Amino acid sequence: MNADELYRRYQELQQYVGWTADDARRVQSIGRLLDSSLPALVEDFYAEIDRHPEARKVITGGDAQIERLKGTLTQWLRELLSGKYDADYVAQRWRVGWRHVEIGLDQVYTNTALSRLRRGLLRALGDVWTGDFKELLAVRGALNTLLDLDLAIIEDAYQAEYTARQQRSERLAAVGQVAGGVAHELRNPLNVVKTSVYYLLNARNPSPEKRTEHLQRIERHVLVADGVITALSNFAKMPVPTMAPFALAPFLRDLLELNPLPENVKVTIDCLPKTPALLGDADQIRIVVGNLIRNAREAMPQGGQLSITAWPDGDSVQIAVKDTGVGIPKENLQRIMEPLYSTKARGLGLGLAIARAILEKNRGSLKVMSEPGQGSTFTVRLLAAEPADGEQHR
Amino acid sequence: MTRTNDGPAILVVDDDLDTCRNLADILSDLGYRVTTANDGPSALKLVEERPFDVALLDLKMPGMDGLTLYREIKKRRADTVAIIVTAYAGGGTKEEALAAGAWHVLPKPVDPPKLLGLVDEALEQPLVMVVDDDPDLCQNLWDLLRERGYRVGVAHDEEEAGKRLKDRAFKVVLIDLKLPKGDGNQVFKLVRKNNPEARTVIITGHRSEMEQLVQSVLKEGADAVCYKPFDIPNLLGMLDKLAR
Repeated sequence: MNADELYRRYQELQQYVGWTADDARRVQSIGRLLDSSLPALVEDFYAEIDRHPEARKVITGGDAQIERLKGTLTQWLRELLSGKYDADYVAQRWRVGWRHVEIGLDQVYTNTALSRLRRGLLRALGDVWTGDFKELLAVRGALNTLLDLDLAIIEDAYQAEYTARQQRSERLAAVGQVAGGVAHELRNPLNVVKTSVYYLLNARNPSPEKRTEHLQRIERHVLVADGVITALSNFAKMPVPTMAPFALAPFLRDLLELNPLPENVKVTIDCLPKTPALLGDADQIRIVVGNLIRNAREAMPQGGQLSITAWPDGDSVQIAVKDTGVGIPKENLQRIMEPLYSTKARGLGLGLAIARAILEKNRGSLKVMSEPGQGSTFTVRLLAAEPADGEQHR
Repeated sequence: MTRTNDGPAILVVDDDLDTCRNLADILSDLGYRVTTANDGPSALKLVEERPFDVALLDLKMPGMDGLTLYREIKKRRADTVAIIVTAYAGGGTKEEALAAGAWHVLPKPVDPPKLLGLVDEALEQPLVMVVDDDPDLCQNLWDLLRERGYRVGVAHDEEEAGKRLKDRAFKVVLIDLKLPKGDGNQVFKLVRKNNPEARTVIITGHRSEMEQLVQSVLKEGADAVCYKPFDIPNLLGMLDKLAR
């Protein structure tokens, strides 16, 4: 927030708590009265901090720093009692909260510290006050409101800065994850390109066939590298689905033709006769079920059984893709749908993340159950084109 | 004898077929004998059949990864020099691989001149063999001598030593005279027969008991004797003289 925005926000808060020019005048009127009490208040404040290791540990500069901080606190108290609550004043308060995040001071100490100062100020005021009792109450009220406003700004700053820092570190972590996943998938094709180039430049007697072979290999791996980048950017900008009804049985037949399974994997498709047509973007759902079939195949390197079962369920259709493969350890199960998470030697780790993202856009969902050593079942839920119970889709 | 002058033997293991083909092309062009494998188990079968001077192993492969593969290779033929190639930068993998005894870890894409330089350097490292039934002693000598720039083969009994000696030409063979299976004196004779140019160092922990045998083996042509516990600097100095 810039200084003007901050000030507008402060004015809005002032309005909210009913702060008036009279309040400002009242606080200003006690400024001179309290000025001689301020050094004692400040001394008491730092003596108390000294007794709390958690608060004390953020002061790393020793006695010299404490002396400086006492100066800052005195200045803060004088500004508080100055009666002048302009944009500069608010910016100073904002800085307090920002600074607390920077030095790692828990917000709870800001609250309690302000409470301690409030008590001290009110006590000192009682000690020096000689005027009318009713006016004393009004002055106390104004002082309390002013301190509450200060605290609101400091906390606001604390939260804004804290969130900003959190987001920065999360962004960095995400960049690191993407870099790691992409690095492997790009360096392998680059490795082939580089070694082919080396061969072409340095081989002593390459035959024309060998030269052609290496040139073709370079071209092939440039395409592989390009495919990695395409996959990533496709994931980043998934198009909005075009929802239309489509029949499941022919859809699955085509899909298995596109994703042939090895001889040692037995396939069964079992759709209940009353399974209705599905509602979704068939092209996108093809990616989802294709990924699930490919995963199942990779989970069964020694062969096994792939069963695809579908049944109606209320306004939806459930499609279970079950394998008898290696299964997924419990500790990985939470993470397998995260983008760029992979336990495989090859691949970006986008398959299930894409599946889940597509299903969300197609108003469906994806569930997984797995038993290490027994196999995994991925269940896709999609809307039925004509709901069995006559309920209308919204 | 299977050992011939066909050129040094290099094993290339990568699940990417094109990577294997490229390294095979580059290395065969330079006169090396190259064998490729696309996964750990088939690589191990090759290692069991014959010795390789250098193994270039991809780190991340489906099934058995390159580091596990190297550990298995080391159990079977400890004198194989391993260079591990990885597409992952950073992490603790490099340290782990080096601690397991891999010689170098190179990042992908590999720099061919650097790789070829390392292969040549590995081939220049003298081959020595330790014949001792104590696995801890073998491991210690392996670490010590590897560090010193030797390629170190290991055999725990007479039969194993015999097999190794038929496979490769060692510069120096360290022989424990007392072996539970077979006997060191026999191993010495096998060295003379199969590796006549090899120098031999007798190691024994039973000074008085074995002294007569030690003297007779020395007379027959053994180059030196080392008593346990070893005087390490002395042993290393002696090896350097014998091997280089």
